[in-house]
Amino acid sequence: MNARFDWHARAIQIGFVVALIALWYYVGRSGLVSAIFLPQLPHVAGKFIQIVQSSTLYANLAVTLFELVVAVAIASSFGLTIGYLVGRSRYASLVFEPLLAGLFAIPLVVFLPLFILFFGIGVESKIAFGAAYAFFPIVLNTIGGISQVDPRFVTVARSMGANEHQLFRRVLLPAALPVIVTGLRIGCTIGFLAILGSEMIAGLRGLGSRIVTLAEGMNTAEMFAYIVFVIILAMILNVTLSNMQRRFGEAPRSA
Amino acid sequence: MTRTAATDVSQDAITVANVSHAYARPDDGVVQTLSGVSLGVRKGELLCLIGPSGCGKSTLLNIVGGLVAPTAGEVRINGHPVHGPTPKEIAYVFQENTLFPWNTILDNIKVGLEFQGVPAAERQQRAREAIEAVGLADFANNYPHQLSGGMKQRASLARALSLQTDILLMDEPFAALDEQTRTYLGEELSVLLATTNKTIVLVTHSLSEAVFLADRVVVMTARPAEIKATIEVAAGHPREPKFTTSSEFAALRNELYTLLRDEIEKTVGGFVGKAAARDRERRAVAGATEVVKP
Amino acid sequence: MSEAIATAGARTSAVPARHPVFRRNPAAARLGIVVLAFVLWELAGHTILDPNFLSPPSAIIAAMPRVLGDPGVQRALEASFIELIVAFVLAVVAGVAIGLPIGLSGFTRRATLPLILLLYSIPQVTILPLFVLYFGIGAGSKIAFGVSHGIFPIILNVVAGVQSVEAAHLIAARSMGATRLQTIHRVVLPHMTPSLFTGLRLAMSGTLLGVLLAELYVSTGGIGYYTRIFADSFDPPATFTLVTMLALMAVALNETVRLAERRASFWRTHQR
Repeated sequence: MNARFDWHARAIQIGFVVALIALWYYVGRSGLVSAIFLPQLPHVAGKFIQIVQSSTLYANLAVTLFELVVAVAIASSFGLTIGYLVGRSRYASLVFEPLLAGLFAIPLVVFLPLFILFFGIGVESKIAFGAAYAFFPIVLNTIGGISQVDPRFVTVARSMGANEHQLFRRVLLPAALPVIVTGLRIGCTIGFLAILGSEMIAGLRGLGSRIVTLAEGMNTAEMFAYIVFVIILAMILNVTLSNMQRRFGEAPRSA
Repeated sequence: MTRTAATDVSQDAITVANVSHAYARPDDGVVQTLSGVSLGVRKGELLCLIGPSGCGKSTLLNIVGGLVAPTAGEVRINGHPVHGPTPKEIAYVFQENTLFPWNTILDNIKVGLEFQGVPAAERQQRAREAIEAVGLADFANNYPHQLSGGMKQRASLARALSLQTDILLMDEPFAALDEQTRTYLGEELSVLLATTNKTIVLVTHSLSEAVFLADRVVVMTARPAEIKATIEVAAGHPREPKFTTSSEFAALRNELYTLLRDEIEKTVGGFVGKAAARDRERRAVAGATEVVKP
Repeated sequence: MSEAIATAGARTSAVPARHPVFRRNPAAARLGIVVLAFVLWELAGHTILDPNFLSPPSAIIAAMPRVLGDPGVQRALEASFIELIVAFVLAVVAGVAIGLPIGLSGFTRRATLPLILLLYSIPQVTILPLFVLYFGIGAGSKIAFGVSHGIFPIILNVVAGVQSVEAAHLIAARSMGATRLQTIHRVVLPHMTPSLFTGLRLAMSGTLLGVLLAELYVSTGGIGYYTRIFADSFDPPATFTLVTMLALMAVALNETVRLAERRASFWRTHQR
């Protein structure tokens, strides 16, 4: 890895992106491609400014964010609690961890029809589906983090008279925190994607559903604008999570 | 101020009565670690446990500290039997440092006090005192990874001392340190003994360390461990570095080694001797058949 | 010593534990839990579950011949399977073809890798409608979406694998007169293999996700069509059957890749 800033590489990257944008612009201008497939760049930009000022966007955004928050809350409560209880017992870890890991290895998207079947196409199914997806990285990382806390720390704490609550607050939690925070971060990210996906496949409200509605109506320019918006939203989410991870999830350097 | 051992014999601080310990191996075997160990540790003395590797010295220490249950026998601290960790009477110092890496040195000590049940208002003060006592006041707000091995062990010692217990159990506390630091900390420990009335049980591998620090050295056999012998070291604390070059020191050290050698051989296997014996056997058999041939 | 400290926390004794079978064998315990889960499901199915929305395992098994016997369903499942295989193969081939030159040239890597990572970080599910718009509602869009998910782990792992080839080996090859092609063939490729296999596993997960997501999205044919039909006609056993078949397909493909990885690394430990 070069410590020096690689100007040449940077130039190529910027040049590439600029070229792509320019290509888009000129192809749109030339009329080679139908606007249904590739709307013109200025048109999309205009639409973007429009939707950012529209109440429709914020209504859908609110739905999606609501689903995400509730799903993550549910997934965290179950994941952290179960993860702690299982992680504290070596035997339970040996039994349950492979089960959970194996279940997670199946792409949970196949179970989406079951969620729709049971919860309907309202927000409940999105929340449930998102929670199910987010649950696994959280519980697996919590089990891993708690069970891999150096047993010497537990022994020392016990020898000084720590009870179970003190053990958890002062030893297990700080020791396992980096791994657990990573699990929470992955859970949030995956949960967000799961919610978007379920909104698109069977949903009435939310950003994913809106994109699908626009697609079905051949309203490609506005759809592009929404897609850009969701991508920006995803980036903001990623940066936020990354910052949280840095604040809480710093692994203490080994003593 | 010098102290001689064997003052204050009114009541043993620690009584180990016929303690045995065994554990089940995962493949259905049973390993006997300790077999009928009995000893008494007098108040204010430093008792060393020494023996071959893996003989169970640490297990015995852990039983005394209430971290492990014996399969037979009992341990009494100041008269009452031990059923579990007794943080108010016993403090530990372990070999590999067990400072919490996510806390500063000061916080590490404060957490120990919190576990013991010291009220929040007192913790800061006592932690500060303990840190100053071991000379780490400048590093109170540093993290363990920023300290050297010797400093980390001093911090562990500070944590144990801050608990203000009568008894200190130390499991090879200086084993991971280089010889210079080790010697130096040993001298500090000797001074500590002279200035306080703590009872200390120390497990070590080092013969020199045992003779230098202990009032009495208990030699343990190989597994299943029993007490082989007890040696008294009559010198008073604090012991000076020149004690290590005295003839008394050398004699005690040799006596220790003689006692230990057989046990070490039993553990390590004496492979040189065994190979030589096998060789002799083979030659004897060959010689016998040769004689039989006409 | 440290062992003593570690076990000290668990107050050990010489008495053997209860339930020796389950205690000794976590695998048996796991099996027991799975069986227990199915039993509870069966019981719940006959008591508290609403038959319009959920079915017990017995109803599902009973429905299987009916559902799987339907030629339309068979075609849908076959189509999905073929799409998965094709998408996976394409993702691997394209991924290696793209990853190798990037990995081999430091400059190319510094120039293109950030772009690739940027693309990878986009939530691809958002552009699913675009894939259907461009590739149609047939197999094309599903394969394309699967490739789009599976190609990135391959590229990244190939690049990482190539980078991990030690410079010393490359210099040694050069000093013995190897041409660039020979060096790639004899030194780079073997070293890259473990990373590649990790990438294969991830690529299979990605491909599964992409293809199945696309299949469920397109409700005018294939799996998506049948899930909609079964849901609309309140036929939960049929939905369950479909889901089970897809899950089995996914597990089978995942396991195949995992086995291939194990066999390859078995050779590898003897290679070095």
